[in-house]
Amino acid sequence: MVKIKSLTILLLVLIVGTCSVLYLFPSEEKKIKKQFALLSQWASKDQEENIFALVERGKRIVTLFDENCGLKVPPYSIDGRYTREEIAAYAARARSQFSRLNLEFYDLNISFPEEGLARVSLTGRLTGESPGKENVNEIRELQCVLKKIEGKWLFSEFEMVEVLKK
Amino acid sequence: MAGNHKVRKFFFPSFTGKFLIRVSIVALSAYLFFGRICVPIRIQGFSMEPTYRNGGVNFCWRLGYTFAQPKRYDVVAVGLAGRKVMLLKRVIAVEGESVEFREGKLFVDGQGIDEPYVRYPCTWNLSPRRVDPGCVYVVGDNRNMPIENHYFGQTPIRRIMGVPLW
Repeated sequence: MVKIKSLTILLLVLIVGTCSVLYLFPSEEKKIKKQFALLSQWASKDQEENIFALVERGKRIVTLFDENCGLKVPPYSIDGRYTREEIAAYAARARSQFSRLNLEFYDLNISFPEEGLARVSLTGRLTGESPGKENVNEIRELQCVLKKIEGKWLFSEFEMVEVLKK
Repeated sequence: MAGNHKVRKFFFPSFTGKFLIRVSIVALSAYLFFGRICVPIRIQGFSMEPTYRNGGVNFCWRLGYTFAQPKRYDVVAVGLAGRKVMLLKRVIAVEGESVEFREGKLFVDGQGIDEPYVRYPCTWNLSPRRVDPGCVYVVGDNRNMPIENHYFGQTPIRRIMGVPLW
């Protein structure tokens, strides 16, 4: 009886200890997934926002990006590097086009080709509704590069993979 | 009495070693079958209407092209970065063929192709383009939108994940 009690307490301590370690010291993959979760959360909106809220969200979104972020979207011939201010402006403009917007990421495959650099291949899904009640449902495969700067993983490059080539 | 005992034993089995082994085998088989071979899917989006409606459920049969190649009129699941999200599209041309749209009508190698599954009006115009080796050309059935708003094109056969079960 005493043995079972001791074993149960030991097991509970082990479980609590393991959970605490995992929570307080997350792996690099978890940190990167957290960045994508934040981007998804801050980019999404479920109701109309005033201009101040739009700008505020835009400011939050750019904290996830490197000083200079590369963007490559072959189907639309977009290929360039953008500063944080430009990204904030584009994000605010893009979000203002929708009355409701949801950005989700799936199937994150993370690799670390070198120290402080992460490559992520993932699927991005954008759903939303324009003020004119037009539905949007876009799914694309993306390749991202993140750099670890001052302990934080920041988006450095985004590339849209051409899965279906017209 | 004996019948009652059997029914009781069926719904309230004894947790013997044999029972646990049987449960483990069933659980593992179900995981492998429904996780890797016959994957349940939920259709989200309107690009394959009316053939497959938004919100519908189906299964993706992953073994559909184990011993065969996709051919015209096949509905296929196109993989993106992983297995959680796929595109559901119809094959309209295979490698080497040229694809063209004239006022919404499909032409393959200069010949008009009947498409009884396209129920909504379509006014697309797309200049002829040849399907690369190892690729198929896929399009959704719902073409009642500007051609720029529909995600379609050629994709490598290796991206074809399977076929819907019905």
